Amino acid sequence: MDLVLFIQALLIGIFCYLGSVSSPWLMGVTGGYYVVGRPLVAGLIVGLILGDVTTGIILGVAVQAAFIATISTGGTQNSEITYAAYGGIALGMLAHASTGVTVTLSVGIGALGLILHNFMMVINSYWNRRAEQAANDGDAKGIVWNNAIYPQIGNFILRVVPVTLAVYLGQGFVSDALKAIPKDVTTMMNVLGGLLPALGIALLMNLLIREKAHFIFFLAGFVFIAFIKNNMIALTVFAILIAYIIYLVKQKAGSTVELEDEVI
Amino acid sequence: MPKLEKKDLRKAWRSWAMYHLSSMSFEKLEAHGFAHSMLPVLKKLYKDNPEEYRKALKRHSVFYNTEPQTGSLVNGVICSMEEKRANGQPIDDDMFHSIKTSIMGPLAGIGDSTLQGIFIPILLTICMGISNHGNPLGVLLYIVAYLAIILSLSYFLFMRGYTLGIHSVNSIIGENAEKLRDAFNTLGIIVIGGLAASFVKLSTVIKIPNGDEQLDLQKTFDGFFPGLLSLLAVLLCWYLISKRKLSASKVLIILVLISVVGVLLGVF
Repeated sequence: MDLVLFIQALLIGIFCYLGSVSSPWLMGVTGGYYVVGRPLVAGLIVGLILGDVTTGIILGVAVQAAFIATISTGGTQNSEITYAAYGGIALGMLAHASTGVTVTLSVGIGALGLILHNFMMVINSYWNRRAEQAANDGDAKGIVWNNAIYPQIGNFILRVVPVTLAVYLGQGFVSDALKAIPKDVTTMMNVLGGLLPALGIALLMNLLIREKAHFIFFLAGFVFIAFIKNNMIALTVFAILIAYIIYLVKQKAGSTVELEDEVI
Repeated sequence: MPKLEKKDLRKAWRSWAMYHLSSMSFEKLEAHGFAHSMLPVLKKLYKDNPEEYRKALKRHSVFYNTEPQTGSLVNGVICSMEEKRANGQPIDDDMFHSIKTSIMGPLAGIGDSTLQGIFIPILLTICMGISNHGNPLGVLLYIVAYLAIILSLSYFLFMRGYTLGIHSVNSIIGENAEKLRDAFNTLGIIVIGGLAASFVKLSTVIKIPNGDEQLDLQKTFDGFFPGLLSLLAVLLCWYLISKRKLSASKVLIILVLISVVGVLLGVF
């Protein structure tokens, strides 16, 4: 048994737990799900644990691109981001996979992770019933334990055990598999890795674009970056300017309406 | 007259900020997280009245779900309502329920679309740009910026909810806020356009025989519209989701098929 690799795998599993949506220890979702749970941050952490920060971050950025627009509400989730980040980046790194392959690997692992996450939510119904009973009895301690502590046991086991085992046992398997599969399949995984951000962005568009005419703003942003390459900060400033103008216009429109109301 | 101190409110905020989703399940979600966060407040207010205390715990253990970070506003509002009730104002269970259920929806909508839809993608994109070649600075910037901005926002909203009571909701759902949000929405749409251009990568390897030379189709595309194929990929996904009402998983399967068939036919 490779003790060093086991400890590394265990640490990765523990961070996957700390970054999960229901782990409370890092100020709830604020420090957990939205910071430690992001693939960008996971890249740095996995890089530190496995001793190659640069590769970790490069893979983290690639996986983050596919999950850039993860919306956790409304049942549109198809992949659990924390499992995807820690399992995918760690395995991709240990197997020396390309970024495209790592992204595809992450999405696959995330899909399996979603099943475990849903299983945890089912288990939690039991603790909910006990917390409800505690509330009926006026038992504050019962609420604390059944809300904060007991549900974390399942969450911890369902994250740490599978991720640790996957990283520990999967290393050899994944690198052998990558060597064995034909080049066409690797190309497909790379193409898919480049396509996946389109899905997340489409979900965001579905959320933000309420009037068809607003599509022109999307096109403006796209063209700005596609034609003037690599200037996200410039685009953000430009977008803030446009947003401010729109706000001023609406503000004006609003106040004239109010004035008319008063005249009448 | 029981009165809440800053200390109690801070404790209530901290409990909410940590334990909002810790016992999440399909049917209760943040219900018990809400009850948990009310504990320090209720303990203080109903110290001498165990029956009232029990009833208060019970009324805050019902289904509840909102965007937890901006939703701290509701906890602040409810704290001030509980304080008024403990001081003799006639506020019954139904009033608490109707206030909670009527704000949580709009607040979740706004919180999710501004945080997950605009704020997080923009911050991530900027930091990913810095970290693109393995520079840890971008990652560190993301961690520090996110924690500082969101934790202070959540704390501020909680306290505002407490001091202004139900009127504080206007600062988020009111008419002026709506105009502000429309503006933010536009900001978000422009930035995700940029996101699409930098992160969706699709190019063709098709070569068209042109006399003795071969015409590289991708170069032709780049000549008049860089990233045209990526744009088409995004538009296809958007069409499938918003017009054909396909689920994200189905669109994912379609993308897998496109990659497989595209590579087999020698398009990508």
